[in-house]
Amino acid sequence: MRLTKILRWSLGAALPLCFAVPAMAAETHGYVISWFATATHAADFATNCPENRNGGRTELTIRALIDIGYTREEALDMVKNAAVSTALPADVTKKMENRAIVNGKPQSIYNYPEAVHDPNLETVIGKFAYGFDLGGRTEANKFEDPDTRQKVDNQLWRAVGCTESFRAIPPVMPYPEELAWNLMIDTAPAWVFSITGDDLSKDGKVTVTLDRVTQHMERDASGNVLSNMTYVLEQGTRSHNVLQGEIKDGMLSITPAEIYLEGEMPYYSEIAIRNTHMRINTRNPDAKLVGYWGGYINWTRFIYMYTSRPGNNADSIGLYHALKRMADSDPDPKTGQNRYISTTWRMEATPAYIAKADGKIIASPAPRNTTVPEKVADASVRP
Amino acid sequence: MKTSMMSSMAITRRKALRGMLAGSAVTVGLPILDCVLNESGNAFAATGERLPARFATWFWGLGLGEGDWVPKTAGTDYELPPQLQALKPLQKKMNLFSGGQVFLDGQSNNTHFTGVQGLMTGKVSSTRDYFGSIDTLVGDVIGNGTRFRSIEVACDGDAKTSWSARQNSGPQPAEVSPTALYTRIFGPEYKDPNAAEFVPDTDVMVRKSVLTGVTDERQALMSRLGAADRAKMDNYFTSLRALEQKLAIQLEKPAPMVGCTKPAQAKNDDGHPLTLALEAMERHNIFAGLLAHALACGQTRVVNLAITQGMSGLRKEGDTTSHHTQTHEEPVDSTLGYQKNCAWFQGLYMQALADFATTFDGIKEGDKSMLDRMVIFAFTDHGAPRLHSVRNYPLMTLGTGDGRMKVGMHVPKSGDAVTRIGLTVMQAMGVPLSAWGTQSNRVTSPIAEVLV
Amino acid sequence: MVKVSRKSLALAASAAVLGIALPAFYTRAADTAAPAEVALSLRLSPSQYKQSMADIFGPAISITGRFEPETREEGLMAIGAAKANISDTGVERYDDLARGISIQVVSAQHRETFIPCTPQNAKTHDDACTRAFVSNIGRLIYRRALTEEEIQSKVKAAAYAADTHRDFYAGMSAALADMLISPNFLFRQRTTEADPEHPGQTRLDGISKATALSFFLWNSAPDDMLLKAAETGDIHSKEGLKKQVDRMVSSPAVEGGVRAFFSDMLGFSEFETLSKDPQFFPRYTLKVKDESQEQTLRTVVDHLVRRQGDYRDLFTTPHTYLTRSLAALYDVPLVETTDNGEPQHWQAYTYPAGDPRAGLLAQASFVALWSPAGRTSPTGRGKALRELILCQTVPPPPGNVDFKFVQDTSNPVYKTTRDRLTAHRSEAMCAGCHKITDPIGLALENFDSAGGYRTTENGVAIDTSGELSGAKFDGPIGLAKVLHDDPSVTNCVAKKTFAFGAGHMPKSDDPEWQLIQKKFTDSKYNFVELLRQVALSQVLYSVPSSNAKAP
Repeated sequence: MRLTKILRWSLGAALPLCFAVPAMAAETHGYVISWFATATHAADFATNCPENRNGGRTELTIRALIDIGYTREEALDMVKNAAVSTALPADVTKKMENRAIVNGKPQSIYNYPEAVHDPNLETVIGKFAYGFDLGGRTEANKFEDPDTRQKVDNQLWRAVGCTESFRAIPPVMPYPEELAWNLMIDTAPAWVFSITGDDLSKDGKVTVTLDRVTQHMERDASGNVLSNMTYVLEQGTRSHNVLQGEIKDGMLSITPAEIYLEGEMPYYSEIAIRNTHMRINTRNPDAKLVGYWGGYINWTRFIYMYTSRPGNNADSIGLYHALKRMADSDPDPKTGQNRYISTTWRMEATPAYIAKADGKIIASPAPRNTTVPEKVADASVRP
Repeated sequence: MKTSMMSSMAITRRKALRGMLAGSAVTVGLPILDCVLNESGNAFAATGERLPARFATWFWGLGLGEGDWVPKTAGTDYELPPQLQALKPLQKKMNLFSGGQVFLDGQSNNTHFTGVQGLMTGKVSSTRDYFGSIDTLVGDVIGNGTRFRSIEVACDGDAKTSWSARQNSGPQPAEVSPTALYTRIFGPEYKDPNAAEFVPDTDVMVRKSVLTGVTDERQALMSRLGAADRAKMDNYFTSLRALEQKLAIQLEKPAPMVGCTKPAQAKNDDGHPLTLALEAMERHNIFAGLLAHALACGQTRVVNLAITQGMSGLRKEGDTTSHHTQTHEEPVDSTLGYQKNCAWFQGLYMQALADFATTFDGIKEGDKSMLDRMVIFAFTDHGAPRLHSVRNYPLMTLGTGDGRMKVGMHVPKSGDAVTRIGLTVMQAMGVPLSAWGTQSNRVTSPIAEVLV
Repeated sequence: MVKVSRKSLALAASAAVLGIALPAFYTRAADTAAPAEVALSLRLSPSQYKQSMADIFGPAISITGRFEPETREEGLMAIGAAKANISDTGVERYDDLARGISIQVVSAQHRETFIPCTPQNAKTHDDACTRAFVSNIGRLIYRRALTEEEIQSKVKAAAYAADTHRDFYAGMSAALADMLISPNFLFRQRTTEADPEHPGQTRLDGISKATALSFFLWNSAPDDMLLKAAETGDIHSKEGLKKQVDRMVSSPAVEGGVRAFFSDMLGFSEFETLSKDPQFFPRYTLKVKDESQEQTLRTVVDHLVRRQGDYRDLFTTPHTYLTRSLAALYDVPLVETTDNGEPQHWQAYTYPAGDPRAGLLAQASFVALWSPAGRTSPTGRGKALRELILCQTVPPPPGNVDFKFVQDTSNPVYKTTRDRLTAHRSEAMCAGCHKITDPIGLALENFDSAGGYRTTENGVAIDTSGELSGAKFDGPIGLAKVLHDDPSVTNCVAKKTFAFGAGHMPKSDDPEWQLIQKKFTDSKYNFVELLRQVALSQVLYSVPSSNAKAP
């Protein structure tokens, strides 16, 4: 049983409403998660990936074509033509996709990634990655967080950080995530975040909730997520998370916990993180939250979600093997293969009202610092 | 064909006279294309002047910064002041007029309106009357017989941004969307004037014919109305006749136009309101292209462009203050002698005017450009913008009107009625007026030094 | 009325220079002859055109195209309509609209609904069928039965078109398009006849009376019952008129009239050219811009028609309607429990007691409409309030004003708009005018340029104290309360309501007009009762003495 469920049940016994806040609580600020993607640290790509050998989609495709028997020259020709006609011939694509051989029969590489040899993608050897110290014991795996200067675990970044797909600097998301996110933002139910405390303008203990709501986000006049909208929590508790936290110098952290949020394909069908840590700035002038969540996730779920996205790049098999190699938690008792991998997400959340289905307002937007024009405030949150 | 010849004749009276004196008769019977097709290259040059005259007005709001824009010397070879630098490549093709004013004759200055009222209609009144602007008087002479009597556009998304008004029915709404303008001119109803084949459109034929059904109602309607309503309905039927005329013209084989090419459909722009100056400039240039092609293809002979209303709401990106507000609140820079932020807008507008004229200049018609064969009259609502005064108006003409205006001059007319410039332009375009304007704004002679 | 001396007029600086885009509207050349006859015809407004089409053809026929811009006179488009002509470009536009509609009406999809007969041969004309169509539809379009000559003319036009195109329906389309650009449709003609009850005088004929009544109450053409009352002459009798008026004010269609009137009175046409900087006001989306007008119209209809409330309470009512996006603009929560999806629904919303966002003037349709793109203008809002709500005139500004303090938002000394305006107002030449606009506009400073709610500006608490006609108040609620008790408010709406129907302002010394005002007062400012009284009175249908002799 997951920790949150246990927590919820134990709370539930005392407080019939899951959303009830500690009696002392003076205020609850609500947010809708308006930006969520793998935390990249791609500015120093050259240091991270000195060989620079992965290449982009074209090179990866050429390698796959060679893999199914074409010469480099033939592959190059085909890719060149594809650049004009935007696609390889259908039979070639099919052959490429079905190059996994299982029991002597061609099968989809996405279903049988193990049956395709590891293209051995280059992985990150640089010093920096965003993240948290999740207790990983292998010193060689540790990165340094550029903000906190702490030793941190982020093996997912090590696995993906040398691909073109993840070579993004916020506010740009990694390409596959961005594509899916932008597809979903106008249609899929959103996630909301709340912080409850005695006085949120001051440091102190807080309670944090994470939930899924019944409405999607709306865009504002600049195409960003509209602030101060009201969202209504979905029925049921599947995606309801209650976390204990503390704000110190404006930075929110939580007592490590397990969290679960139901999502929707082709974005993540779920965000399920073990040993979740958070580091979120709550004092941005525009009242947005900006920060990081880290923890362990099941790497096979990550890669299957990745391969099913519209933007999945030719690097998915390489990523499968890289993630498998880099996984650093929860070894399978039989094989010893780690099933979980350390990772960190970057998130932004925009002030919002949160209501229950019965109409009760349980969180209100944090006030904006009105001495700062919204435009300037926006710029200030850019890392 | 017949109609275009008639109007060409109307404006070439003076030229024809001079032609006869010089011993060369002006022939008017030959279709232009015949001449073009006669010889391989230069045949057109011989008869090119019979291409129809064309006219454009171009309005920008809030004048030019005082203390800076008036050239130090008069006549040709003057030094173009900094604010007008964008027009440098066109200096030899334009005239700059300074010093002219609108006389208020005791009426209050309705800022952003009264000045233009005087400048464009010759008449200042305390009301918002606005009838018979220069472009329509010119249009009455040169503009008949084309599909559109004139085309008005505004770059700020406001259909009321228009200084073109007929004598009877008042202001014409401006087209605000380049996309809509494209369809209106070059959509399905457009007939290529240079196409070898011409098949009259049956649909147009029917439409023209059934319009008589509306005209049929006139008599019965009029008999039921009082005099005031009859006058109003008269205006309506005049406008209806313009529509009939437009359809009639579509049924005739259009006169060939040597500079005509059909423009490509521009990017989609629905004409929504704009407040960012650079966006308005982008729209301006799309309009300039469409208007130039409309003129070159004989769809109209008079076009009017206004960037904004006089009280311009355009802003720099990231700035809450509009150009108009800047004119009031920005202090005059003591070293520069003008308002610095305002000068940014003024420079931008002058660049737009240069772009506008250059677009017209880029259309070749025989040995000349279309700009050479026409006049662009550029005007504004105020002299010194900070004071919203109606003195020392910066005004320009571009093009020679096919040789009827001298160019390259700075003409200081300190204290003179600005209507004199209007009269001069109208005379150059062949409007049979010897005097224009009322009360102190009445002028009885043009600025002779710029007329050929 | 605010009394402003000529001198202070001359000295006064007004809102115009502060960046409120006053439309450059124009008037027709005034006739110089003394008791000139006035034109009685009114150009159909775009909303009247659309409503007429919707009433005749239903919602399936879409109206795509543009109209000639309307002009505002004495604060109303409805008065401007009396002077409005149709320009060349205008005729072209009406022609496009007419053909767009006609093609849809005769399309294979719709012809069975609208054409009462099937032609003998679809490849040629069928005069009998055309005649049936033209007489039926024509009566609704011309708002009267067509004359035999008119029918014949349309039948002839249709035959020519049908034969040329070898298509009966092309003929029908041509005939319909013809009617839709006719001055008999595009202008609400008001024609007179000898008045049998007052020999030697004239009155509006029945059709003109029915048309005036219908556009006044419904913003649309008369329906069949009203046309019949006009044709039989019933409309001329007191009982006949009352029967129609009672029927019409209790019909849901009266909401159309109320909406049209308030759109006009509140200057909603200015929304067409309103834009806000998305960098500064990200919540002011295009959708919200449209919705803010709808919010106000829903509030008005709910309060005045459904609740039959006191007009004065419109300025204080906590009841309104919101969408989630609008709620975000005002920064209030709005719980919508329907599933994830589009579109957002309108929901009734009631502000808690004492909330400054209550009432009409706090809505974005007022505070955002009368603000420049980047920041507020208390002067502009004050001027709009004076002119729209109180029927007062704020004089135009002189040219040479020094505005150095007013809008310098980064001025280290004058942090709020109030500070800056006060500094500006201390200059003698500006004081006169700003005294009549600013104190009321400043009370609305809790609303930013886009209508969003705020309590501070540049980190300083906003002072919303103000003054109107000597009464001091604080904030939007205080302003609303003062307005509530100001007789100019109710006088103004009564006058404008009348003018909306008549096309001109009432004569204040007319005893019948005074009676209408009294009845409005007696009804506790029930707006539907005001509509009823105006509709029942003779003043709405009176013929100006200059036009009084029978043609």
